[in-house]
Amino acid sequence: MIVVRLTLREAANRKVLLVGAVISVAFLLLFWLGFAVGFNEAATEPDPLESAAAATLMTVLGLYAVQFLASFMAVLLASGAVAPEIESGRLHAVLARPLSRTSWLAQRSGTFAGLAAMYIVVMSLAILGIASGIAGYGAISPGRAVALLALEVAVLVALGTALSVRLSAIAAGVVVIALYGAAWIGGIMEIAGAVLDKDGLERIGVAVSLVIPSDALWRGASYYLQSPVYAAATSVEDGIPFAGSAAPSGLFVAWALAYAAGWWMLADRWFRRRDL
Amino acid sequence: MTSAEEAAGDVRGDGGPLPISATGLRKAYRNRTVLDDVDLHVGPGQVVGLLGPNGAGKTTIVKSLLGMVHLDGGTATVLGRPAGDPAARRAVGYLPEQFQYPAWLDGRQVLEVHARLIGLPAALRPGALADALRLVGLAGRGGDRVGGYSKGMQQRLGLATAVLGRPALVILDEPTSALDPIGRREVRDLIRSLRDRGTAVLLNSHLLGEVEQVCDHVVILDRGRVVSSGALADVAVGAEVRVTLERLDNAAHAILEGFGRVAAVDGDTALVVLDDVAAVPALASALVSQGHGLQALVPLQRSLEDVFVDLVGASAEGEGR
Repeated sequence: MIVVRLTLREAANRKVLLVGAVISVAFLLLFWLGFAVGFNEAATEPDPLESAAAATLMTVLGLYAVQFLASFMAVLLASGAVAPEIESGRLHAVLARPLSRTSWLAQRSGTFAGLAAMYIVVMSLAILGIASGIAGYGAISPGRAVALLALEVAVLVALGTALSVRLSAIAAGVVVIALYGAAWIGGIMEIAGAVLDKDGLERIGVAVSLVIPSDALWRGASYYLQSPVYAAATSVEDGIPFAGSAAPSGLFVAWALAYAAGWWMLADRWFRRRDL
Repeated sequence: MTSAEEAAGDVRGDGGPLPISATGLRKAYRNRTVLDDVDLHVGPGQVVGLLGPNGAGKTTIVKSLLGMVHLDGGTATVLGRPAGDPAARRAVGYLPEQFQYPAWLDGRQVLEVHARLIGLPAALRPGALADALRLVGLAGRGGDRVGGYSKGMQQRLGLATAVLGRPALVILDEPTSALDPIGRREVRDLIRSLRDRGTAVLLNSHLLGEVEQVCDHVVILDRGRVVSSGALADVAVGAEVRVTLERLDNAAHAILEGFGRVAAVDGDTALVVLDDVAAVPALASALVSQGHGLQALVPLQRSLEDVFVDLVGASAEGEGR
């Protein structure tokens, strides 16, 4: 666990934690203000579905922003996991100790994934807490949503770590962010394909979500974040933009788990074979 | 087998494992050979200098011993375990050539991390940390952040991590590259004190004077090959002998010419460059048996620099470099 502590200290001293906390507090204040104002206006509507829709929309989009921040945090941390340590020579002193490369990599990438997942948990609780406090909001399944979001950052950390064994921090970061963007476009294509009833478009979107499952995991999480009343009353055509309208299949979740594990094992294999 | 290898053997006298035993090491990057059939043995308490010009393969050898570079061939053991096995590194201290320590920690925290990595019991850590800091001259600076250290202080901190917990083997890769002359002298003293407490040291350096002053044995590398190895005194013995006779006449001169080249003559003394370093006894008996009064026959010691330039320079010329 020494490398975990060392990595946490590094994150703390690189101001990642401080900057993340400051921005998050600012974001939560803004969300609280926006939610309070928005919900008060919606609450005057006679149709109870209107206020449920307003609360769901604001909660889901708030967590969409959280997901976005957590993903970037995961990518930025993981894409510099290995290469800069080798280039600077910091790694050599540590690996000259009785510590296997696999253990070092597991502790380091595990710490990054843990930090990003912790951020997800704290922010999700805060957002859902604000929504619940103001509007009495209850999501379909906050636990499943948070688990899927944590899996999303794990996927990004595993991918970023693997690339950081082979590429510089900047190159690895650019590749992962580009893939993350591709997943986002793929998600929009899938939704657009469903709305417009174009199978080809939908199939491309599904294929992209298999190549990089980050956005599909978000869409799965976003379904569980909706209020049950709202989810029952809407379909994909009139759903929230960028959000999913159905629970993810067990097969897809299994694929995403295998995806993260696969990239991590590849990272380990590449790292063990590499000359330092 | 060189005397270094003989001295080393496969196990030490008390039956414990050799600090370093490496045979036939090979490594190539694409089609460039970096190590070609390198043998290296370091016995307990020995200080062995690994010499060679830049790019000779010194750092590659060190990294292969520590499992950081994968070999294409050969076998290497460190303290009796295969190089690359993390357990082999349990009692090894290492100062990398390219060293950097986390800028956000202070010196003592860096040592604390390393003390935990080598599994030093908590009760022994404060003493071991203070000991290491004192040995490298950082006693008053352990609480300062590494980010504020000069390059030389960072190198001292690296030395402190290398000697932390009294390892059986210390590997130093260019340990004085960032130090001033006083710092260099302190490192030489540190290496001597390591030897005195029975620690084996592998010293990678291209500073010949440094190696000459602290090493018992040297291995000279050039472009991945060992061009000379042995006890420092043996390696530094040259092919030059000074011969003083009662009378240096033509007959005596002819005998000397039979063993090599007469480089200079001063009265009855000649400086002879032998074709074969081992021919000194034969030369003596030839002179005596022919009735030349042999006053003195002195093999001349050369500096390590002369040896190095001869060995490395000659092969460089041969390659038209």
